[in-house]
Amino acid sequence: MKIALAGNPNSGKTTLFNAITGKTEYVGNWPGVTVEKREADLNRKYRKIFPEGRVVDLPGAYSIAPYTSEEAITSDFVVNEHPDVIINIVDASSLERSLYFTTQLLELGIPVVVALNKQDLVKRYGNEINIDGLSKALQCRIVPIIANEGVGLKELIKAAAEAAKEGKKQPAPEFEGKGTEDEKYARQKYVKELTNKYLKRNRDPSQITLSDKIDRIVAHPVAGLIIFAVVMWAVYAFSIEGLGGYLSEYFNETLFGEIIPEAANNFFESIGLHPLLHSLIVEGAIAGVGAVVGFLPLIMVLFFCLGLLEDSGYMARVAVVMDRYLKKIGLSGRSIIPMIVGSGCSVPGVMSTRTIEDVNEKRMTTMLTPYIPCGAKLPIIALFAAVFFPESSLVAPSMYLVAFIVIAIGGLFLRKIFGWKSTSVFIIELPEYKLPSVKHAFRHMIKHAKAFIIKASTIILVMNTFVWFTQAYGWNLQMVEDSSGSILASIGNVIAPLLIPLGFSKWQPAAAAFTGFVAKENVVSTLAITIAASSEEVLSLPGGVLTQFFTPVTAYAFLVFNLFTPPCFAAIGAMYTELVERKWLLRALAFQFSVGYLLAMLVTQIGTIILYGKLATGFVAACIILILYAIVIYYLIKRTSSGKIQFSTVTR
Amino acid sequence: MNMPLAKAKVGQRAIIKSISGNEKIRNFLFTLGCCEGEEITLISALGGNYIVNIKDSRYAIDKRMANAIELVEAG
Repeated sequence: MKIALAGNPNSGKTTLFNAITGKTEYVGNWPGVTVEKREADLNRKYRKIFPEGRVVDLPGAYSIAPYTSEEAITSDFVVNEHPDVIINIVDASSLERSLYFTTQLLELGIPVVVALNKQDLVKRYGNEINIDGLSKALQCRIVPIIANEGVGLKELIKAAAEAAKEGKKQPAPEFEGKGTEDEKYARQKYVKELTNKYLKRNRDPSQITLSDKIDRIVAHPVAGLIIFAVVMWAVYAFSIEGLGGYLSEYFNETLFGEIIPEAANNFFESIGLHPLLHSLIVEGAIAGVGAVVGFLPLIMVLFFCLGLLEDSGYMARVAVVMDRYLKKIGLSGRSIIPMIVGSGCSVPGVMSTRTIEDVNEKRMTTMLTPYIPCGAKLPIIALFAAVFFPESSLVAPSMYLVAFIVIAIGGLFLRKIFGWKSTSVFIIELPEYKLPSVKHAFRHMIKHAKAFIIKASTIILVMNTFVWFTQAYGWNLQMVEDSSGSILASIGNVIAPLLIPLGFSKWQPAAAAFTGFVAKENVVSTLAITIAASSEEVLSLPGGVLTQFFTPVTAYAFLVFNLFTPPCFAAIGAMYTELVERKWLLRALAFQFSVGYLLAMLVTQIGTIILYGKLATGFVAACIILILYAIVIYYLIKRTSSGKIQFSTVTR
Repeated sequence: MNMPLAKAKVGQRAIIKSISGNEKIRNFLFTLGCCEGEEITLISALGGNYIVNIKDSRYAIDKRMANAIELVEAG
């Protein structure tokens, strides 16, 4: 039996979905978080009431006639796949708007149960809804619920089970003017009458509230930008340098630096394990995975903080603040949503670009979203900040500032190169602020921690084994005395010369950057295996073994290189899905690679001159490359502005 | 007196007279309850962005859209 969850954006569908299935899908207190349909069985508690119930969570829609592509998913599903029952989640604090969609759902003939959500807000406003009356008028079951507190869910599932079992055709609402050309006006009138009849408003919604007063500061063009910068700095400083950093230090230096390797060494020696296997496990698996998992506390603290922020309703305001600035580079406030999601992981971030209708804006956002450092890039940032800049709480958060600057400049270039014009208009619903739920933030944290551990124990473990073997063996499949004769070193040495102008031309960093394309955490684990495992030190020690490979300037350049070249394979796959055409994927990758390379080169070359008063190696090569870049960009822009090639296809 | 939303006074309640722009956006606004004859209140004007109340909800819209919404005074 299929239960479809349908309703307006930000009405609480995914919150309800998670509550009745036990899943932990991404929820944010802002519209447009769900962009794909998701399915799961009811959890045990509710299966007793509704056996074989399978729930489909649909993206939010304001109407059956789709405006955005995720609205289309919703209407396609309810129209074509005939769920056995539709649970229509209605935001009771915005009843009139929600009922418009409800009346359309009632016309499909599929049994509908209305879940009247956000009863707490209704009470707070002092409003009253005559549920029995409305239920009779619409001829469907209505159950009042508070999804995020779990209130009324049993009754809701019971009602859905009854409706599905009866299997009676849902009677459509009758109103004057139905079937005529002006049906939508007639429907609106009908909905308005219903609302006036069954909703007693004891609050004038157009009154200025506390929430509005907060918005005037938080969404203000200048103050809002400063607040956003401070909030982001606080979150990342707290995660990387504060509590998260403190715990990670213990994990890295004590737990994975001493306790676990020593215990493993003693254990393997006592059972007389083959030295080769012993070395693979301790120097490959434990050193590599440990170097990544050591950053787990930091990831957890970050996602806890982001969870609190998301739940508060603040993120919708960030979109408003950023809208006017993003307009200048051809984007809009819509583009900030994928970027915020991308601060967790670029894959869902890139996927949520499908809420953007303007095709050029969507392409640009797809190319730029991976520049927001994701959770997997955090260990790289934290590692280099700890080793090279232990005194500064600014270096790690500065990567996010750099990311925004790169997005702005990169966006400008993309626009020039492809001759894009901004056509989009921006509108976003502003949910009322609420006290963020610690439970929600905690779930958010656990979900990401789990994903992180799973990734570390699968893909990263496999890569580590590969890295360990290739750095321990030569091409003749004999173990090498010195890893400089290994397979990995010879691969790294092929790439390394290309990195000379960037300031890190040894094979180890080259190999690390290379494995980073599989998953960004691999950068840390590869450095751990190739550099730290042979020394007795922990990789993340301030002023430790990494300083033999980087100066602070080239360390920063290496960070920039890893952050602003193309993301991992999974994110590249997501980009391909959203960009659709192969040629656009290739353009995106070329763009991202050029930006990362150029930026790292500039950091090294300019930084070395300013800070050390000398020319970095590869200065001449860097100058030549810079000139080539300038020529190519000039040519591309000229080609577009002369109108020979029309790249943009304006959708509307 | 007619004027675009972008020129309205903060806190002023008004009736929407017309909305210009393409069909798709107008239809979308319609589903929010933003269409001719409906009430709209400008809550705040923040540089290039406007916060409005339509029915029971708050929305932030940009200048282009605020200029496309033509108002008449309520009453």
